[in-house]
Amino acid sequence: MSILQLKNISKSFGAIKALDDVSLSLNQGEVLGLMGDNGAGKSTLVKIIAGNFKPSSGNIIFEDKEVEFNKPMDARNKKIEVVYQDLALCDNLTAASNIFLTREIKKNLGFFSIINFRKMYEKSKDIFKELKSETLPDEEVRMMSGGQRQAVAIGRTKLSKAKVVLLDEPTAAISVRQVAEVLDLIKRLKDEGIAVVIISHRMPDVFAVSDQIAVLRRGNLVANKKANDSSPEEVTALITGAKDRA
Amino acid sequence: MLKTKIKISNLHEIGLLIALIIVLTIFSLTTENFFTQRNFMSILRSASYVGLIAFPMTFVLITREIDISVGPAVAWSGVFFAILIKWYDFNYLSAGIIVLAWGLFTGYFIGIARTKLFIPTFITTLALWSALRGYSLFVTEGRPISISNKSFRSFYGGDFLNIPTVTWIMLLMFLVFWFCSRYTVMGTNIYAVGGNPKAARSIGINVDRIKIITLMITSFFSALIGILYVARVSSGNATTGEGMEFDVIAAVVVGGTALGGAVGTMTGTLMGVLFIAMISNGLIHWGVDPDLNKVVKGLIIFLAVVINSNITFKNNSGQKED
Repeated sequence: MSILQLKNISKSFGAIKALDDVSLSLNQGEVLGLMGDNGAGKSTLVKIIAGNFKPSSGNIIFEDKEVEFNKPMDARNKKIEVVYQDLALCDNLTAASNIFLTREIKKNLGFFSIINFRKMYEKSKDIFKELKSETLPDEEVRMMSGGQRQAVAIGRTKLSKAKVVLLDEPTAAISVRQVAEVLDLIKRLKDEGIAVVIISHRMPDVFAVSDQIAVLRRGNLVANKKANDSSPEEVTALITGAKDRA
Repeated sequence: MLKTKIKISNLHEIGLLIALIIVLTIFSLTTENFFTQRNFMSILRSASYVGLIAFPMTFVLITREIDISVGPAVAWSGVFFAILIKWYDFNYLSAGIIVLAWGLFTGYFIGIARTKLFIPTFITTLALWSALRGYSLFVTEGRPISISNKSFRSFYGGDFLNIPTVTWIMLLMFLVFWFCSRYTVMGTNIYAVGGNPKAARSIGINVDRIKIITLMITSFFSALIGILYVARVSSGNATTGEGMEFDVIAAVVVGGTALGGAVGTMTGTLMGVLFIAMISNGLIHWGVDPDLNKVVKGLIIFLAVVINSNITFKNNSGQKED
């Protein structure tokens, strides 16, 4: 079932056309690999889905209803979550505090309320168990490996019961060993029926997890096909323009 | 169950506790009058004035801001308080409320300048540092404005149950700030703002509001200390609190709070405050010239930052830009 559809999305910044008539469809439990060179329009597209930008024209259809995102909160309320490249984590807080940031579990003590750390640790522990990650809820994020940091960031999307998760360059800043952990996490999100969009430069990572590959070049969608029917060579050709369309 | 681990902050606090004990022992063994109840009360009293501003200052530093206007703010608040009572016949309570409100307003001003006009708090408070001292000297013509009220003096400037009243207030506030930093959403948000302001904002924390509130609380306590000093000496003086911003910031930094933000605890600050107060006091007992006393304090803050940054930076891979 299609959960998110983009219909004829265009976005201009002054005279520059960042996106030109892009249509995409995303299904539940499907991973879409969004590829393209720098400036191809990937991050503009992500920002439109996440509610940072409004499209100049075109429609967003979420769960068969047309929606309008004026601010990031509108998208978050529809359970669309973005995991940014830097993961948006606070290094000086524990894993649990990061997961629950702005959504803390509170205990009411009459005239004021305090944070219920025990409950937050317990819930975080469950989340990490589900993610099969060996991340400790009470450990500060600064001490963690790249993969563990990813788990914390994804833990946030789990807590919010996200339906669509956008991952912006999730494997860009981490070691080879950690990349495997992250790709594993993406597969697990997919297994739970979450629709995932992965934006990446790294061809092998995208092919390892994606069902569908979309390629942007200079704001145009030049390919949107099953990963099985394509190849890294073809996608490279599409990105650079050696091949016009597929 | 979750196992307890020694965190970096704990490491710093343990080191500071050991340093406190060493300093205490050295001064006690080398001087006659250091290890006496009377002297301890004196140390506690001066530590309490500094501590009451150091606790909110810890929050300010954690959010990557700073307030260096403390000394003149204390002086002006005291002068303002004394003027209201002596020249304009306000009663103590309403004068106190007006001065504290002034404190909150100053903090709000610093915060708005930072968040809406993007003026670094260092610059705004530097301007205030100069302006408040200058204006205090101008209106008082450098003379103390004396007011006398026995009960005000003996309670707020004196002792309660044999311990300085200001120390009681300081201990109570320590508990409040400690609790707030550890167990409340506000405390977590303060750390989040310091740890990664961009992330905090993107996740929905009102970063500006948090910064404004911490600055307001700090200015509020500067104003309160101004009033408490008046209670102590029965007059408003334009020269009080000279170098107090140094003692406050030194105590916070010695206590393990990073000037770059994100890291710091209230227990560390409390120990830093006691440490600075003890050193100042002990050096006087040693007969060290007051001017050289400042040199020693300068060295201590430098060393504390060297140690602190070596502990924190080695373990901090996080990003630092706002």
